Amino acid sequence: MSQTKQAAPEQRRPASVIYKRDKKTKASVLFTDAFARYGISIGGSLVIIAVFTIMLFLLWVSFPLLDGGSVRGTKSYSLEASEVQFVETQMDEQQTVAVDVKLNGQVEAFHVATGAKLQAPSFDLAGATATTFASTLRGDDVLFAFADGTVRTGRLVIKPEVVTAAQVPTGLKQLDARDLTDGTVVYSRIPGQFRTTKVELSLEPAVQIADAGTAILKADYRSGGTAERPLKTFVTLDATGKLRLSQAYSEMNMLTGEATTQVTNTAIPLSVPAESVIKLLLNTPGDRVLVALRDGTIYRYNTRDFANPKLAETIETLEAGTELSAVSYLNGENSVVVGGSNGSIAIWFGVDRKSKDTTDGIVWTKVHADFEQQAAAVTDIRVSQRTRMFTTSDATGNVWIRHGTTERTLLRLPGSPDAKGLQATIFAPKDDGVLAIGKNGAVRLWSVYIPHPETTLQSLFGKVWYEGYSEPDYVWQSTAGTDAPEPKLSLVPLIFGTFKAAIYSLMLAIPIALLAAIYTSEFVQPRTRAVVKPVMELMATLPSVVVGFVAALVLSPIVENWIAAVIIAFGVIPLTLITLSFFWQLLPQPVANVLDGIPKLLAYLAAIILSVWVSSKAGPLIEAMFFEGDFKRWTGGEGSGQPFLFLLLLPASFLFVIIGTRPFFSGKYRLSLREMSKVAAASLELLGWFSILTLSLGLAWMMSVVLSEYGYDVRGGVVDTYVQRNALVVAFAIAFAEIPIIYTISEDALNAVPQYLRSGSLACGASRWQTTRWIVLPTAASGIFSAIMIGLGRAVGETMIVVMATGNTPILDTNIFNGLRTLSANINVELPEAVRDSTLYRTLFLCALVLFAMTFVINTVAELVRQRYRKRAAQL
Amino acid sequence: MTQTTTAASGAAPTKPVVIRRQARSDLSARGEPFVWLMGAALVIGLTMILGFLAFVIYVGALTFWPSPIEVVTRADGRVVAGEVFRAERYRVPEEVVAAASDDVKAKIATDLGFADRTLYRVGNYDIFGEDFVWVSEFDKKSVAFPRDIYMIERVEWGPFIGRIKEIDLAGTKIADPSGAKVAAAHKAAEARRKEIERIDKVDIAGVNHEIEELRLKVRRGELDYGADSAEAAATKADVAKRTEALQVRYEALGRKVAALRQTDETYVATLEAIDGQTKTLPVSRFMRLYRANDLSSEEKFWIYGSRWAEFITGPPREANTEGGVFPALVGTLTMMVLLSLAVAPFGVVTALYLREYAKQGPLVSFIRICVNNLAGVPSIVYGVFGLGFFCYIVGGSVDQIFFPEKLPTPTFGSGGMLWASLTLALLTVPVVIVATEEALAAVPRTMREGSLACGASKWQTIWRIVLPRAAPGIMTGLILAMARGAGEVAPLMIVGVVKLAPELPVDFTFPFVHFERSFMHLGFHIYDVGFQSRNSEAGRPMVFVTTLLLISLVLMLNAFAIYVRNSLKRTYQTGQF
Repeated sequence: MSQTKQAAPEQRRPASVIYKRDKKTKASVLFTDAFARYGISIGGSLVIIAVFTIMLFLLWVSFPLLDGGSVRGTKSYSLEASEVQFVETQMDEQQTVAVDVKLNGQVEAFHVATGAKLQAPSFDLAGATATTFASTLRGDDVLFAFADGTVRTGRLVIKPEVVTAAQVPTGLKQLDARDLTDGTVVYSRIPGQFRTTKVELSLEPAVQIADAGTAILKADYRSGGTAERPLKTFVTLDATGKLRLSQAYSEMNMLTGEATTQVTNTAIPLSVPAESVIKLLLNTPGDRVLVALRDGTIYRYNTRDFANPKLAETIETLEAGTELSAVSYLNGENSVVVGGSNGSIAIWFGVDRKSKDTTDGIVWTKVHADFEQQAAAVTDIRVSQRTRMFTTSDATGNVWIRHGTTERTLLRLPGSPDAKGLQATIFAPKDDGVLAIGKNGAVRLWSVYIPHPETTLQSLFGKVWYEGYSEPDYVWQSTAGTDAPEPKLSLVPLIFGTFKAAIYSLMLAIPIALLAAIYTSEFVQPRTRAVVKPVMELMATLPSVVVGFVAALVLSPIVENWIAAVIIAFGVIPLTLITLSFFWQLLPQPVANVLDGIPKLLAYLAAIILSVWVSSKAGPLIEAMFFEGDFKRWTGGEGSGQPFLFLLLLPASFLFVIIGTRPFFSGKYRLSLREMSKVAAASLELLGWFSILTLSLGLAWMMSVVLSEYGYDVRGGVVDTYVQRNALVVAFAIAFAEIPIIYTISEDALNAVPQYLRSGSLACGASRWQTTRWIVLPTAASGIFSAIMIGLGRAVGETMIVVMATGNTPILDTNIFNGLRTLSANINVELPEAVRDSTLYRTLFLCALVLFAMTFVINTVAELVRQRYRKRAAQL
Repeated sequence: MTQTTTAASGAAPTKPVVIRRQARSDLSARGEPFVWLMGAALVIGLTMILGFLAFVIYVGALTFWPSPIEVVTRADGRVVAGEVFRAERYRVPEEVVAAASDDVKAKIATDLGFADRTLYRVGNYDIFGEDFVWVSEFDKKSVAFPRDIYMIERVEWGPFIGRIKEIDLAGTKIADPSGAKVAAAHKAAEARRKEIERIDKVDIAGVNHEIEELRLKVRRGELDYGADSAEAAATKADVAKRTEALQVRYEALGRKVAALRQTDETYVATLEAIDGQTKTLPVSRFMRLYRANDLSSEEKFWIYGSRWAEFITGPPREANTEGGVFPALVGTLTMMVLLSLAVAPFGVVTALYLREYAKQGPLVSFIRICVNNLAGVPSIVYGVFGLGFFCYIVGGSVDQIFFPEKLPTPTFGSGGMLWASLTLALLTVPVVIVATEEALAAVPRTMREGSLACGASKWQTIWRIVLPRAAPGIMTGLILAMARGAGEVAPLMIVGVVKLAPELPVDFTFPFVHFERSFMHLGFHIYDVGFQSRNSEAGRPMVFVTTLLLISLVLMLNAFAIYVRNSLKRTYQTGQF
């Protein structure tokens, strides 16, 4: 930019030169220049914007997770008023046809979108009117019970079928843009074809349950078994207060085609009058009967032993003064939603606490009670057939959609068909609509869109109490596909796993990389350095899939077999090295001088090989002596925790001993070293080292014995049951990715320390080690810090290694011998299976966003520190 | 190192001084233990990388070498015949120890519960139900190397190890399988197998492809003119006629294949496994057969070479655990080329903008930091972005506009070559930007000013002066980006890499490079064979060889980058860290 401005006046210079020359710039040059300038500026900016869009895009995709839902449209119409109250309503999946069932068996069907009346068959109850009615949660298995003590079961299905356009009869009445009808069947246009919807029903003959003439007042009904051998289970309460559980097997005679039904009854002890019972609840396996009383008491019967049902527990669901006004199972039939006359809502389910207070140890607990209260008594609860959503409607006709696990009110549906209360509500089978019928026959249909009811900030990042768990917990369990168990999407175990892998691997990588970098920069000849550094950097180019594969298939079996040796090696290698270094000091100075360089590197190699060999030999021995002969079994909880505690305490006791013995190794001691000959001084040092070693080993042993006496055991914390693909193996593998990065960057930082600082220090008489320790390291500290941060960033994002070398178990466990699942591995494992725009899909995008943010912050901090360091180094 | 101090103080005593000081340095000042720890750390680092490479190269290079077949008689009399796969020392499970004889027990006890064992590849998966057997050293009674044991690599079911009992060549029964007649028959059978494969994969697939095209044409016509229009009906009629002709061709091909298969069935061999079980197989099912214990060195080299040739140029077999990696190699290379085509202009243009055109200030240095950081963002994040943005949003729209007749089957709306390349381009663009910027910054200001002073325009300066000087740096960045692209797997798994692609992304049918096709990749091949296959043990040789190939590719690219950097000497490089 600035150059062009300078160039311009040059052209307008007075023509004082001798050569006459065209001083006009060629148009093509000007054009190319302008073109390049704008092209590059626009292109460059666009690329930068595009790259930054990534974050915004991730945010944009994951944001709808927190969105409760919306009402897409409402429809209102009125049904023909009928004097007989209906007891059941349901609709089909496509929201085409809805039916009302009345106690006299009459079925009324209407078109959901318009309310147009449709012809439908009715249950032929032979003129009788039932005293009560029951149906399954899906609503297609129904039961009528009568005043004479009989029951009749049946099926009521709104059946869709796909037909071709040619099969559609002519002369149909148009209902709306989609649907046509001939009065009975609704024909819906779907792309390329038609779908018919019609009501079908069947009814079984009556079965005598109660004593003849005794009316059945309450009932509940479930249908199970197989198609060939259906098992119907129902529970009935008759006017005399007798509660019965019945099982009816139907068997088809293959020859005659006749079905015979066998009914067995068992009496359940009930001590309250029949009038106080407002609802019976049965589950599909038929092993649990709940009897809900008006005052909020629920009796739970364990009927696993059919012949001998037991009252397992008496649950008081409501506080005194409140009446139970609605109760229903949630999808899955393991939780109960209880609505009170004060508008309160609570969810209860059984938690296995091995309690003595109940006969089966399970205690029903009020798990979710933090629901927003409805203004008036809750009159009806309708539950979703696929999620843990449910609708609650109150006496003033308001309908709310809520989610059970998150306790969230998703939608307060606007407007009510009847402020005096509702006859019925239907939660559409696909959770995409709610239909409410007022007492006056007015109907309101809300089309709702609730794509992600189960996610809130609390459920993503906090503890949630899921059904079947004994307490709130962080759980990741995305059972995509099936609907009965709800997906549990907590990011906490994944974030934890990410840092677990990163930190364990850093504990391995930092010492190796930093020490190697210092050595390369300060103690190695430039010629050696020119070879060594690229070789170490070669490590960064290894594809992570290769590292992961070798770690999982080669390293992890070796580590598993030699686990004791590996653990001992962590102590043996540094101790051997230090010990050998003291022996090295015994060498006469001329010899040491000659050996300095490559021979010394080989000596290190020999020392390492020696210590690995010692560890591999000592491993089984130590295992046999201290770890019950098998380390893996020891991690499972056998034997004493003391030996391992000893190993863990070793570094601390070393530090302690070194600080404690400082007075002995004071300046005076060091001055006296100078007075001695080299061999004598080195021997003294060696002696000192051995005494420190003995002291700290002894101290660690003593401390471990004392701590073990007090019952402290490392198992259960960072050490626990051994799994083959574990954090230790992953730490080794990720170290491959981290070491070259930390090494290169910190070596660069050390190298950037100006040479004259070193020269000055050496000139003052400091040794090379002293120069490194007191001059170079402090100067380069911030650069080294940023190297570690960048290494951390790399470890956090590592994917393939973790996918391959861990068991990918999303658990919160610090145990180094257990697996883990990181955010990145989670995305990799689950995203290929996730349906576009589903909750799992968006949650995985959120994982990516969290990962992005984490690495971005880590890297930015590192980069800022590094830039500051660079500036400071330049000023020195 | 330490001499400096000695020497410095050594000069002191030449003149008598009052305070006499010993000329020795304080040992503890030298920090020998620390030096040892640091040196050892460096050695550990070097051992890690060199050991790793040596291991991979050693195992990978030896995998295809034909090894002898050991026939082991076990303590209980059972016989195992197989190639030695690997050996290890393991902890003997208690129940095994309990069942062992007394002297074995004593031996295990002296080894503290450990024992050696060997993994044999016994093959014959179809007969035994497992193709690997561990034999403990204490369980071996005798080991023999009979000369008549054959190693037969088959098209299905993995290798067969055993004897050839009889060969039936269309009625002529031959007992000795080593004759020239059998070799010729095997050659002919192989030709037949290849012919069947060719008809299946090329001719019949071609006919199917044409039928599918015609169906799409009808659909397109319906979409363009409406389902009931005359145009649609006309296309339909035309297509029906042509489909019928194709159908005839299809049936003719089918008959041809059936005839070939029938001939094939008459050339059979009866094989006998080591335990006496027999199996009769058409000769055409054999890929390669040799007497493992009766090979000369040349024969061994020949087998070794032919296995490598099959590996590089052949398609995978047996759920990728055998055969070759040609599709994966082609997929990887194609992706790398596309990636560099995408990343080079964008990276260079952005770097030019940042370094030459943008006004240097806090904003640009902020952007620079961010770009730097993007290089550190996990690759999987780019994969997620690629899936959500490229595949679903961009690809979905492309499908709606250009390929409505194929919906709901996605064309560009799912992972494929183009999206994978673009995702990796996005992933590597920061690398190229940083490298290019560094290279641009290294061109001294004086050269630019000289050029401008001579009257060159800014673009002329950049094009003629700056870019040529920066070219080595840019090239290095690009090659490093390609190397990263070659080794990256995680994002690709999401945006288009599959375990088995029916078609190559590049072929001889128009438009030659098929951007929408999903493809195979060497890195993913390793993951898939090593972790997703029926028997990870059986896939191991394949994984090691693929690893060797991938590592060679990546290391070659890196070496090339270093070579470029060094040979086009960066004369104007400033210190950079």
